[in-house]
Amino acid sequence: MKSILAGKRRKKWNARNWTVFIVATLGLIYILVFHYVPMVGVLLGFKDADYSANLLGALLFEDWVGFDHFVEFLHDVDFWNVMTNTLVVNVIMLLVNFFAPILFALLINEVKHAVYKKGIHVVATFPNFISWAIYGGIVIALTDQTTGIMNPILNLFGLSSEENPVYLMGNNYIWAVIIVSSLIKTVGWGSIIYMAAIASVDVQLYEAAELDGINRWQKAIYITLPSIAPTVTVFLLLNIGRLLTNSFEQFNSMQNAVNLNRSEVLATYVYRLSFTDRRYGYATAIGLFNSCVSLILLIVSNFISKKATGRGLF
Amino acid sequence: MSLQKAMRKRTHRRIRMTWADWVIYVILFLFALITFYMLWYVIIGSFSNGRMYASGGVFLVPNGFTFANYSVIIADMEFWTAFRNSVFRTATGVVTELLFTALVAYAMTNKYLRCRQAYYWIFIFTMFFSGGIVPMYLLLRVLGLYDSFWVYIIPSIFSVYNMIVISSFYKGIPDSLYEAAELDGAGELTIWAVVYMPLSKSVLATVALWIAVDHWNSYMGTMLYTDAGEWTNTLQFYLKQLINEASGVSSGSEYSDLVSARTISYAAIVIALIPIMCFYPFIQKHFTRGVMIGSLKG
Repeated sequence: MKSILAGKRRKKWNARNWTVFIVATLGLIYILVFHYVPMVGVLLGFKDADYSANLLGALLFEDWVGFDHFVEFLHDVDFWNVMTNTLVVNVIMLLVNFFAPILFALLINEVKHAVYKKGIHVVATFPNFISWAIYGGIVIALTDQTTGIMNPILNLFGLSSEENPVYLMGNNYIWAVIIVSSLIKTVGWGSIIYMAAIASVDVQLYEAAELDGINRWQKAIYITLPSIAPTVTVFLLLNIGRLLTNSFEQFNSMQNAVNLNRSEVLATYVYRLSFTDRRYGYATAIGLFNSCVSLILLIVSNFISKKATGRGLF
Repeated sequence: MSLQKAMRKRTHRRIRMTWADWVIYVILFLFALITFYMLWYVIIGSFSNGRMYASGGVFLVPNGFTFANYSVIIADMEFWTAFRNSVFRTATGVVTELLFTALVAYAMTNKYLRCRQAYYWIFIFTMFFSGGIVPMYLLLRVLGLYDSFWVYIIPSIFSVYNMIVISSFYKGIPDSLYEAAELDGAGELTIWAVVYMPLSKSVLATVALWIAVDHWNSYMGTMLYTDAGEWTNTLQFYLKQLINEASGVSSGSEYSDLVSARTISYAAIVIALIPIMCFYPFIQKHFTRGVMIGSLKG
């Protein structure tokens, strides 16, 4: 029996084998060209490629500089400032913006009128589909010192005044503006997955709990939250792996000359170094550092999660 | 048991609101109000008189109602060139990426594919590691795609994530259908086109909408890999520049009494949002399912 199976496995390829092989290999060729070839391109980070007019020539023939670029940015004050911005904003977003959709889903789950529920959700999800270019434009408009709506609101609370209006897009407040605007844009969309998870919780659990005289807060804490915990774990992992990653467009759309000191994150910094300063080798080195640290973070958080909860991404 | 049923029926018929309910309803209402107001602000801004807007802003209704901002934008050829490119890019991008990704997804779920795991891991790794923007820029230069319309289409013709979403749907299609088609002597590509594609309309619609929204909203590619020329400028990049210029101008109007750079940019934003608003009801219908499918694989 075994030998027959083994013989089958070595059988010649038929037309079906060839068709799916060619199709899958087309996908593989695409992936090799557009994803793996650029990975070879990270060698630029070890080459003296800054200010080069011919990048391909630089990659092939320029002198090796080893880890010089890496040593340089690790001693660069600018780099550590950018790193601080990236980490502070991302850690706060991981603490606030990650859990806000869960809270939103729990709240919307308590709504008893189906029409109200649907209406709120439709309105709250729409900003997710607005581009960052437009959304950033709206944020700039709302926070404008003379024509925006934010300053009159702050005036009401005595946080700003007409004579001396607070400039929200400035250095002091840009983190808050970025975090809050990002929260508003993503909460509705982010909550969908948790709403689906909540909807799939066994109704009998709630009914049994009701018979035991449990109230709605206890229901949320002891039934709903544990039921959606696996979903939360997976998304938390993905987010920890993205601690150094930001949406380029999100930050680029709200940056200006005044707030650059606080709004520059790795994604925009690498862009500026590459295309404004033309420091190709240096920028590639920072990009490579970013990719490697992200990969390590993901692997470590996945490992910890597997040990602690038995669940992981891979 | 019957008493319990009766009790449940009564609570179903009449919705009782406790103080906690009211708090939740009000919090959610305020949140929805904020998101709605952000849009409303741009809409009323776009119908406002430029000079009056510059001196007092807007609050609930347009400040000096006028269509002048729209007249300026509608006469702006550069805006329409960028608009056309974005439409072409979105339409072409959706068709090519959807077909190619679905085709690869089919091969990846097919029992005749050898070394599936090798393909799978080579694909998956790219989701977690990338070379960065300079190597990509170099590659696009070498391939001659730099500043070509095709720079938007060819590098994004295949998405690993969407491939996984589509193939997880394909796995749910009963094998008996495949075997019946196989017995009838249909080739693999025919089975894909005639059996699998029609059955997966719902997931394809979801993925198509994701791709469309991405193409329509993105401006990073324009900034990094093109010179924003006749065939490579995109609507979002154009808007981004318009907004940048407008926020540099603090007051007064450089055009006429009726319009200002700010109010013109609001009109442009509203026009750019119209396609999204038109498609939103359809996206709405599909996105819950789409997110669910995506999450199954994680």
